[in-house]
Amino acid sequence: MTSTAELTESPPVDSGFPTVAAMARSWAEKTPDAVAMREKDLGIWQEITWAELWETIRLAAHGLLALGVQPGDRVSIHSEDRPEWIILDFATVAIRAITVGLYPTNPAAEVEYILSDCGSVVHLAEDQEQADKVMEVIHNLPDLRKIIHVEPRGFRAYRDDDRFIFWDDFIELGRQHAEANPGAVERLMAEAKPDDVMTLVYTSGTTGPPKGAMLTNDNFAFCVDQIINVDGRLPGNRKAGPDDQILTYLPLCHVAERIFSAWHLASRGTVLNFAESIDTVQQNLREIQPTLFFAVPRIWEKIHATIFIKGRDATFFKRVWFGLAMKAASIIGRERCDNGGLDTPLSRVLNWIFYPLVFRALKERIGLRRVRWAGTGAAAIAPEVIRDFIGIGVPIHELYGMTENSAVATHNFWGRNKVGTVGEPYPGIGFRIDPETGEIQTKHRGNFKGYWNRPEATAEMFTEDGWLKTGDVGEWVDGTHVKIVDRIKHIIITSGGKNISPSEIENSLKTSPYVKEAMVIGDGRNYLTALIGIEFDTVGDWATRHGIPYTTYRDLSEKPEVIELIQKVVDETNKKFARVENIRKFRLLPKELDHEDGELTATQKVKRNAIEQMFSDLINEMYSS
Amino acid sequence: MLGRPLLRTSYEADMALFPSVTQRVVFALFLLFLVAIPFFAPGTIGESGSLPGPTFLGTSDWLRLLVTLGIYAIGALGLNILTGLAGQVSLGHAFFMAVGAYTAAVFGSPQGPLWGLGLPIWIWLPMAGIVPAILGTLIAPAAVRVRGLYLAVVTLGLVFIGEYLWRNLDFITGGSQSGRTFPALEFRFWQEEEAVLSMTEPATWFGVLNMSPTAKTYLFVLVLTAVMALVAKNLQRTRTGRAFMAIRDRDVAAEVMGVDEFRTKTLAFAISSFYAGIAGALLATFIGRTIPEQWNLNMSVEFIAIILIGGIGTVTGTLLGSAFVIILPRLVADLTQLGERLVREGGTWATILDPLVSTGSGDWGLVNTSAGVAPGLSVDQLNLVIYGVLIIGFLIFEPLGLYGIWLRIRNYWKGWPFTY
Repeated sequence: MTSTAELTESPPVDSGFPTVAAMARSWAEKTPDAVAMREKDLGIWQEITWAELWETIRLAAHGLLALGVQPGDRVSIHSEDRPEWIILDFATVAIRAITVGLYPTNPAAEVEYILSDCGSVVHLAEDQEQADKVMEVIHNLPDLRKIIHVEPRGFRAYRDDDRFIFWDDFIELGRQHAEANPGAVERLMAEAKPDDVMTLVYTSGTTGPPKGAMLTNDNFAFCVDQIINVDGRLPGNRKAGPDDQILTYLPLCHVAERIFSAWHLASRGTVLNFAESIDTVQQNLREIQPTLFFAVPRIWEKIHATIFIKGRDATFFKRVWFGLAMKAASIIGRERCDNGGLDTPLSRVLNWIFYPLVFRALKERIGLRRVRWAGTGAAAIAPEVIRDFIGIGVPIHELYGMTENSAVATHNFWGRNKVGTVGEPYPGIGFRIDPETGEIQTKHRGNFKGYWNRPEATAEMFTEDGWLKTGDVGEWVDGTHVKIVDRIKHIIITSGGKNISPSEIENSLKTSPYVKEAMVIGDGRNYLTALIGIEFDTVGDWATRHGIPYTTYRDLSEKPEVIELIQKVVDETNKKFARVENIRKFRLLPKELDHEDGELTATQKVKRNAIEQMFSDLINEMYSS
Repeated sequence: MLGRPLLRTSYEADMALFPSVTQRVVFALFLLFLVAIPFFAPGTIGESGSLPGPTFLGTSDWLRLLVTLGIYAIGALGLNILTGLAGQVSLGHAFFMAVGAYTAAVFGSPQGPLWGLGLPIWIWLPMAGIVPAILGTLIAPAAVRVRGLYLAVVTLGLVFIGEYLWRNLDFITGGSQSGRTFPALEFRFWQEEEAVLSMTEPATWFGVLNMSPTAKTYLFVLVLTAVMALVAKNLQRTRTGRAFMAIRDRDVAAEVMGVDEFRTKTLAFAISSFYAGIAGALLATFIGRTIPEQWNLNMSVEFIAIILIGGIGTVTGTLLGSAFVIILPRLVADLTQLGERLVREGGTWATILDPLVSTGSGDWGLVNTSAGVAPGLSVDQLNLVIYGVLIIGFLIFEPLGLYGIWLRIRNYWKGWPFTY
């Protein structure tokens, strides 16, 4: 890998617009033997070099041509993160077609909706589970011609169905096509235009059905320019490169992981390591020890809770040390946060003492020892969590953006990290906060082309003068940083006429390791209430410790001791807020919220309307007396 | 990848004997230390020089102890493969060691009143392993028929058959009265007069290193032990080693999985007997003259003690166990002597130690050095008591032995700052 270290800029491309595919080809030409990806298979991390990766992408592109995919056609991918995801994605872009990603958790009904909405012609269903979903609804998908499957197992029932093609056969098909039509893919790549749509990203939408946001090659290029290459993002301004390791584990169909994994790979040659599954992330983190790490708040909260629970479970001597170190970490965290994320003399001394004693081993155990930059985004996070991580030396930076502006909006830069804000707008982009509504609006090359087949919905997203309406309420902090208040739609106006942002209260509740979900209610009511979902693992652990027997989630939620425990969490939160913002009553949810039951979006965000309807009895109970 | 020990990109890395750089460095330093031991004694380098280090280790009696340790370690590694890895309890280890010793004598000793062919070491030492290995394969079918305690009884029988044989095959063993001498540790290409390398004569190497016979024997045994230990360690990660463990855990289940029970058990006996034979030959040549009764049940039990105290099924444990069992008697003897001296001198120490040590015929105490005269146990008897207590204690409280204790300590720090 040392041979690639001096390559600091993305390689130049001969002709055509530098799409993800063209960039991958350049890497393969410059550093064919460097590792591009690793995937854990049969117990060891199997490496894929750039030469192998590009060859597979090229053959997959030929394979798509052989299947009759035309420029502008849609190719959909329904899979967990794996090399084939990115290979098919890049191959699709190479022949100027459009990639559509689906969440692995999408149930059959949503698969039907998205595939028919985009009119996909070739679909990748990773394994039997995903294949069953698409076969359940295939009669309503007239455009769909071929289904590629990557896992060979479990396809006996579809053996005689010629709509299916196994991945290896698909690549072989591509090889034959490449022999018959040499240069076909290269010709299409040379024709790539900045205005070509490269992908549809279906926004999960807490209200209404998902809409496919069209991102173009130019959106991609601008996003890379800003988010990945902007000066001052990483420590010492040493940009991401082939020496950096990334763990790919969040759904690649979400714009955040796509930028963080696929686009880092294409633009900077950063090595992607695919986690085995979401359940093994903590184990895989320990093995890979990534240098760049992005996680959604839910993951950070989970790691945070794990640290404290394991620390508390340790034997006496270890517990004492751990306690001391965590005290030091909170001091270090406070010091650093007041100083833009950089060390002060006090934090330096404390770190100097506790790094060799505890932090080094602790970070090694959670797999974040080599992290030089960590990010969080896609949802709001409690500042306490960030502060604790910064204290032990994991520099978390919050960033903000949305699919519709290619995630280009604000970013906390190195050394100017302000915890509790989402950072500063990228230099030189069009960014404003509407003085009347407080809505954040952007106008730059990253603004999307529109929603697929939805001109009126697209029009609604823009102001008359062409600014993108994000739907988020923000405010300036110290004139430089931006703080997100809430979604406009979520702002609660109580019957007393007071405007309250529920997210802040909810996030404060969620800092407790016992709380997984919280939804504050009170729009048009006299006072605030909340529906709270407990974290089954930690509360279960707590109950076992206190000798409280329980069976199921519901049973545990109904224990008076558990309600008392959560009451304490609520009281704690109430202290931090004004009286009108206090939660007077709460109920515990009797079931774990789930994507497949329509309570959460694919990105695990609470669907407020659905919840309010589903648990209306609980809500009415809180307001009846 | 450097600095990421858990990121394994090949099965070779996944199964490496020394997976991390630190482990490799520590192991190399330890080997260097072992090689340096003879040169700690004064006068070993040049006129009167020596390496800095614990001087007593380089002295002749401690060096002799370390040679014995190495030889015992080879024998114990063999028993560990049979009992620890393949799960076949054997009390017949002393029998195979004796076969090895007498094979060496027959092939290596010059023709005299007793049988001897006078062949060089590169023939008699391998033969001392091969002949017991062949005998081991003949015993193995019994292990396929009987398991556990019954197998222990069968192999116990071997020891008694052996004792009878050695007493009566006096044209090989020399009989109970005089025993016999064994070939010297000398390298010859064939039966020429001058040995290429003799471990019975002092020599000066490279002009500066003054090598005593014991020092040379020590280095020779060190190399052999290291090689045999590495082979034993490597065996654990081969198909054969995994087959042994499968047989140990449940032979019926192993057979269902396609492990040939007969073949595997035979192989385990063969390999184990090979190790035993080599150890027996080395022990006999090192001591110089032995009587047939030496290869008795006690010796077998000593080896059982080594692998149980050290940690059954592990190479590191076996080496630890050998060190413990060989050095313990020496420590007990030294401490008893010290105790007797202190008691004679009187003072506070005398009152504390008096019940433990007996100094003369009238003085009751737990242990003494003048066996037969004073009441109480002799040092040897006390050693047996200590082995017994330790075996019971380890079996109940720490089945992985000394190695298990080490594992516990290591895991404590590995988990830092958590417990799991």
